[in-house]
Amino acid sequence: MIEEIRAKAADLLRSGEVKCFIGYERASDGLTARPFFAYSADEADRLIFDGTCVHNLARYLPDMRGKRVGILAKPCDSRSINVLIREGQVEREEVYIVGVVCDGVYRTTWGKPSRELQPRCLYCSKRTPVVYDYLVGQPPPAPESQHPASISEVEALERKPAAERWEFWRSHFARCIRCNACRQICPACYCPQCFSDQLDPLWTGIRIGLPQNWVWNVGRALHLAGRCIDCEECQRACPMGIPLAILNRKLASRVKELFGFEAGMDPRAPFPFATFEKEEEIL
Amino acid sequence: MSDREPRVVGFLCNWCSYAGADLAGTSRMQYPPNIRIIRVPCSGRVDPLLVIKAFERGADGVLVSGCHPGDCHYTQGNYYARRRLAILRDLLEFLGIERDRFRIEWVSAAEGQRFAQIVADFVKKLKELGPRR
Amino acid sequence: MKFLSNGNLRGWLESLMGMGSLIAPVDLEPGLTLFSQVRDPGEVNLEYEITPIPPKDLFFPSSEALFRFSPSRGYEIPRIEGETFLLGVHPCDALGIRLMDFPFLSPPADPRYEERRRRTTIIGLGCVKARPECFCTSFGIGPLDPSNADAFLVPVPGGFLVEAKTGKGARALASAKLKEASIPIPKPPEVSAIDVEAVRKVALSLFDSPYWGRLADRCLSCKVCAYVCPSCYCFDIRDYPTRDGAERVRSWDSCQSPLFTRQASGYDPRQTKASRLRNRFYHKFSYFPDEFGAFGCTGCGRCVRYCPVNIDIRETLSAILRGEARIA
Repeated sequence: MIEEIRAKAADLLRSGEVKCFIGYERASDGLTARPFFAYSADEADRLIFDGTCVHNLARYLPDMRGKRVGILAKPCDSRSINVLIREGQVEREEVYIVGVVCDGVYRTTWGKPSRELQPRCLYCSKRTPVVYDYLVGQPPPAPESQHPASISEVEALERKPAAERWEFWRSHFARCIRCNACRQICPACYCPQCFSDQLDPLWTGIRIGLPQNWVWNVGRALHLAGRCIDCEECQRACPMGIPLAILNRKLASRVKELFGFEAGMDPRAPFPFATFEKEEEIL
Repeated sequence: MSDREPRVVGFLCNWCSYAGADLAGTSRMQYPPNIRIIRVPCSGRVDPLLVIKAFERGADGVLVSGCHPGDCHYTQGNYYARRRLAILRDLLEFLGIERDRFRIEWVSAAEGQRFAQIVADFVKKLKELGPRR
Repeated sequence: MKFLSNGNLRGWLESLMGMGSLIAPVDLEPGLTLFSQVRDPGEVNLEYEITPIPPKDLFFPSSEALFRFSPSRGYEIPRIEGETFLLGVHPCDALGIRLMDFPFLSPPADPRYEERRRRTTIIGLGCVKARPECFCTSFGIGPLDPSNADAFLVPVPGGFLVEAKTGKGARALASAKLKEASIPIPKPPEVSAIDVEAVRKVALSLFDSPYWGRLADRCLSCKVCAYVCPSCYCFDIRDYPTRDGAERVRSWDSCQSPLFTRQASGYDPRQTKASRLRNRFYHKFSYFPDEFGAFGCTGCGRCVRYCPVNIDIRETLSAILRGEARIA
């Protein structure tokens, strides 16, 4: 598999089809992976792919506008690319997508790889990328099997009384240091000016603490409703262990229930908050 | 249960609901003074962040009110609002803000009586819930 | 050297809590330990591996009101009160506090930092294990180095070897039931060092190297590296309205944020990710030593560990030493 990825990336770079190929290389711990930008066929030899390749590389595409780039895309990453294409942040023709069939990726932190699947992979139904120019790996026979989902953290929280939910989120958000890692790593967060950086209206300001952190985290989650593809990168990047993915997953499941919409699956499906049905019982 | 009166922020569209509230006033209908009304051009103008901000700043309840579906002055604003507010209400509930603290109502300019009734019911409900933590 | 047995630890911590507030590593979530106010000595975890946030926020809080003003009450400065015992500080983090002193205590001293510093006793804790990201020995300290602490504990079987380094430290230890130590100081764990002086000598010649652009390709421009850093001390100050007046708020900020250097005119002298990433490196290994005579890094490795895309400052140091940073 990795030989095929390296060969394909080297071809693309050698032929000048792309200026840069975005994939993964081994991280400095020698165990996990990190994003890697190959600019020459020689550098393509450094590419790797395995269960530690957790990063959603689609995040880098808006930075690369105007350049022809190649990108390695897991199924989840490919959904993010679809989101970016539909939102006009990425030109389809500028990106050469090397899709890779994925069996899930592991929970990893630097220096500590594991063999335990990430929670998001338990909910994921896609093993084949939804958009690609070239596919690495054998797509599973249709219909794609779904990993057995474990007990949903969303449902567990929903069953608690409102007061407990309030306390749960309040205590998590109180810890937030507003480092913006969740925002900066998010493939769907590309606004030139984030609401949290606005001076007028002043939504959060610079104060780090409650209640400002509450507004920031709630606003962030809401802006991702119908756009988050559950790559869980925000939660992985959070140094303070805030379970942001639970919030994102709750919104994604409601968007699916209410509007039958799943982010990044179909670039032609209208965005649920930019359209409406005159007769719909949603309130 | 505390004695503090519930504080309600109401975002009312200029064309229907604000006029409805105005009618309630000019008709001398009584309704609880707990609501602070903010006039917006359309329910579609109500950025969910405004509601989040109202709760952050201590509102016990938030009301968003606009023209009935089909009657929007801008033809479609309330249809978009309906989708956004629906997901916002689910999110707020998940965050531990009881569903009854966030109300979405369609009130026409002729429905002064109904507006007064909605505010009275809302405040009664908020008193039952007690102040927010 | 004295010995404090595990059995006598609780009593000592209780007496510290009686003298002031005790801040120590506490497990908050699975895998998350933070320096927190201790309510029960049982919460204290002195076997912790690392806290994402170093204890710098005790002296330089992530956010604080510097003063408030209102028509009715005039001008008020929030008071700093009480005495604090900061327990369980590893040598790298103790050095971090020492490094913070340079900018905050050099005249004119920051009064709030100075006041908190004066009221705090730092009780260090030796490291019996090194983490893979550790490189503290590059900066003249080591896993069992007691300098920069008022008192120092070294974990040994059955308890701790204990030593007061300052009068404050002796006062904190006065209530501890100590014995003469019969155990020798253990051998510190191996920590590899990088020749940072050599890096400093050549660093400036690499300012315009394309290396920085390549390194910054994967940088996210988040502020994790700076906020978890024991020696990053940049901040932003703004005025905000309060119910009846206004307050001046100081909060952490970082040169990694695109907003950090943007000027009112709209011009930004550090427009690219590469220039921001480069700035953090040069501040630590060139500008800070030029100004204060010490490197602005403690080798704690937090930025290595917590960077979501593994920008490893040790790799940059090595690349400079090996001449690899010269090429594209």
